[in-house]
Amino acid sequence: MKLSRRGFFKVSAGLLGLLALPKGGEAKPGRYATLIDLTKCDGCQGEPIPLCIKACREENSSRYPKPQRPIPNYWPRPFYEDWEPKKDKIDTLTPYNWIFVQKVEVEGEKLFIPRRCMHCDNPPCVRGCPFGALSKQPEGNTIIDHSICFGGAKCRDVCPWHIPQRQAGVGIYLKLMPKLAGGGVMYKCDLCDSRIKEGKIPACVEACQKRLGEKAPLLFGEREKIFTLAHKLAQEQGLYIYGEKENGGTSTLYLSKIPFDKIDAQLKQMKARFQMPVKVVNRLEREVNPVGKVVLGGAGLGALAGLVLGLISTNKKEEEEV
Amino acid sequence: MKEIKRYSGIVRFEHWIIALSGIGLIFTGLGCLPLFKRYYLTEIPGLAWTADFYTVTKLHYLLAIFFTFAVFFHFFYHLVRKDFGLFPKRGDLIKAFKTILASFGLGKEPPADKWLPEQRYAYVGIAFITAIVAITGLLKVLKNLEWIVLSPKTESTLNLMHTLFGGAFILIFFIHVFFVLAVKSNWPLLKAMFTGKVSLEYVKERHPLWYERIMAKAKNLKEENIS
Repeated sequence: MKLSRRGFFKVSAGLLGLLALPKGGEAKPGRYATLIDLTKCDGCQGEPIPLCIKACREENSSRYPKPQRPIPNYWPRPFYEDWEPKKDKIDTLTPYNWIFVQKVEVEGEKLFIPRRCMHCDNPPCVRGCPFGALSKQPEGNTIIDHSICFGGAKCRDVCPWHIPQRQAGVGIYLKLMPKLAGGGVMYKCDLCDSRIKEGKIPACVEACQKRLGEKAPLLFGEREKIFTLAHKLAQEQGLYIYGEKENGGTSTLYLSKIPFDKIDAQLKQMKARFQMPVKVVNRLEREVNPVGKVVLGGAGLGALAGLVLGLISTNKKEEEEV
Repeated sequence: MKEIKRYSGIVRFEHWIIALSGIGLIFTGLGCLPLFKRYYLTEIPGLAWTADFYTVTKLHYLLAIFFTFAVFFHFFYHLVRKDFGLFPKRGDLIKAFKTILASFGLGKEPPADKWLPEQRYAYVGIAFITAIVAITGLLKVLKNLEWIVLSPKTESTLNLMHTLFGGAFILIFFIHVFFVLAVKSNWPLLKAMFTGKVSLEYVKERHPLWYERIMAKAKNLKEENIS
């Protein structure tokens, strides 16, 4: 086989072009979505605790961490994350509380924002977990396999909302090098994975709808229908949408009369643990994936160059062999 | 002193691209694990950027361009040329042990050809681990781009495999470097990885079978020239 220099460049360019053809960064949406209409949520006034939280805790309490004590520090750091003494806390996300209602006052209006995992379309937590403990399900939800999670909390770091929460003294890391690596297990909302796989709706949504019926702020269903409804309501009532574009798209849409940048500004001012950054980009898609295309091109080019130079040099091999 | 060519320019190019990008990939790969912050590395002046997983991953990808280029080049180049001298031969296992023991002054090295029996086993080990790291890495790139969509279980297994084989790569890297640096008889090979050449004396002493081939070939050439 003979290949001229020009021919070689043509083939290489063609190969690179082929690799660049498919569109990168387009997240594959899941089957379902949730709508959270903040114009309707009153934080369950008159109830001892918001019903979405109550239902979530009842549904998931059997999966809450049961740490072994004494818990070792995250050596060489002099601490470990332990939420067990605060397991009844319901006003924030913890390994024992996977949804909470955030209270914030913006422009004289009181808002109650149910907060939990947004279930991103291209979740950086799933893509980045070195142990493969997180996975995105076809239903669109992201789940954590507690049996293989090391509790390194990378998922919390790469999440734009820092949703997953860590409990030390529990999990597989205790069986390996508990003093040197690992930090427990990460916990967060899995959108009631086993329920939605059976065709049911998440426990929080069910509880909300039991209380308020058609006026319930939480709605769960087929993604397309939820998205169409969200846009319809937004247009009819002049509402703002959050969660459609954020982090490259999620399967949780919030509707609000007040723009979300104002809500986020207020949350920032309050130094809230969980904020609502507007139009936050998916850095994996924006910064990392374009380089990924070059990696694939590099591998292809390496194969091609190896073949061509190999064929050219085969004849000279005998001379070199000594 | 007469010198014999041992590593071609292309072999040295492959070796150093894989070695240098590999070192970078080890560092950034470890940085993709949640360890640097815990171990205060991110607080070292000039290393604050390692606290950002996205930046570290991007750098990991950039280095992977060179690494996968060289790995794929290596595979196809030597496949086409049928350079199979580094695959283990019958009886290599015992000879490899003897070579390793001799490295520490125990016994004598069995007579070797161009490649030492221990090198052939090392090559297979390094090649296998490198291939798995590179292939799982490329699959991770593809699924992150969503050009392929894996089932949740497959994606989890893939992520775990890349991490585990990355660990194996670190291990063999250190074993490789240890044997090159700690065993004096290997030093001429290190030099050859820069210059491409070894002295005839070294070949005669350590690779007598190769030496015989070189001498036979030289004799043939001489006779051909005379005739």
